Amino acid sequence: MMKKQMKNTQDISRKDALKKIGSYGKYAALTAIGTYALLNPKKAQASSLSSPGTGFLNRIK
Amino acid sequence: MKEITILYKVFEDKTISWFQNKNEYAVLENTTAVILKKLNKGIPINEIAKTLSDELDVPLEKSINFVLELEKKFFPQENSEKLEIANNYKNAERPKDFEFIKYYKINDIVFKISFLSDKELSFVHPKFAHLVIDEVPDFKNEFEVFINHNYIFLYVNNVFIGSWDNCNIHYFQGKFSMELIQKIHQKEENDWLGVFHASAISNGEKSMLFLGDSGNGKSTSLALLQANGFTCLADDFVPVDAKKQEVYSFPAAISIKKSSLETLLPIYPELETTAEYNFKRLNKIVRYLKPNNNDFLAHLPCHDLVFIKYEKDAKLTCKKISKIDAFQQLVPDSWLSPKKENAQIFLDWFEGLNCYQLTYSNNEEMIKTVTEIFNNDL
Repeated sequence: MMKKQMKNTQDISRKDALKKIGSYGKYAALTAIGTYALLNPKKAQASSLSSPGTGFLNRIK
Repeated sequence: MKEITILYKVFEDKTISWFQNKNEYAVLENTTAVILKKLNKGIPINEIAKTLSDELDVPLEKSINFVLELEKKFFPQENSEKLEIANNYKNAERPKDFEFIKYYKINDIVFKISFLSDKELSFVHPKFAHLVIDEVPDFKNEFEVFINHNYIFLYVNNVFIGSWDNCNIHYFQGKFSMELIQKIHQKEENDWLGVFHASAISNGEKSMLFLGDSGNGKSTSLALLQANGFTCLADDFVPVDAKKQEVYSFPAAISIKKSSLETLLPIYPELETTAEYNFKRLNKIVRYLKPNNNDFLAHLPCHDLVFIKYEKDAKLTCKKISKIDAFQQLVPDSWLSPKKENAQIFLDWFEGLNCYQLTYSNNEEMIKTVTEIFNNDL
């Protein structure tokens, strides 16, 4: 199978980059403040040694 | 839109919000938190969007869409569905005869715990076997554990506590532990701030929590530290109270994985002959080590959270980490009280904690560093 060669030879300055994305650059501020993380604590107290599906505990010796 | 209860706390350059309706925390940019506050107060969307548009120099239409999206996400109109995760009530007759009846003594409190068969016994007993005493006529609390129609039932002092199916055994064990600490420490569920999946040690004056993913070495570090002058307060299940935000003792044994035996056998030769248990689905083989705590009523303040990681050949590093990072790791792995007052106390308590990441391979260096953290010498 041929491996596709991607070569990026085009250097672009920050100014040119901003020009290229035009008005979309402005919305980066909205994207930034719209990034958040939701964190849900466990709904009940749990132990860690049995997990879902662990029905049996086997004693070896 | 009906106002909902939200708490806000600024940490570093972010705001953490707590939503009472879902007992959910969100890490937000400060600007976003201000928008949520305004939305919750009923300020019109156009007005909020106009301010945002001016502030960020973005078209009003884009701001409106943004605020509408936030409203949709954080203030859903539909009634949130009730998720019944762990506790399915099923009518079942309580057995008259139990195959195993064990008596456990925790300080001076005796618990009589009846298990219908060895299966029920296996879910609870191994972690508490070091507390067993001979049969006594006087006991303060009576627990009954039995399986009926594929549900495991828990009764405490003749009161039905709950029933759990085969997939929720870890919640049964969690509830069992919760009932136990409530009886030991004379507290109700609302008196607890949370229960953390951590290991807790003390130097007699204060406590420290070790956190991290399973397999990172929390319990092994705890075992090493308890052999070097520190006291084990709790392993795996660490309760913190709401009133004084102190770490409370939990009397279960320390679970030692097979991979840690080589390190620990020279210090704890008794592990050689200790019973071994195989958690097949988790691919874990463990032995239980008796904690060195001789006062299971002990409770101590905690100012330090340490995300600990044993890494073969690693040079010891211990650095303070951002509270936001620590918060994001801590919350999904913890049970946190859904009570508003307790959520506020939790946020305030967390604000005052020092959070560290400690990576090590040399045990002596780890013990020295933990001592320095305790002594505020880092």
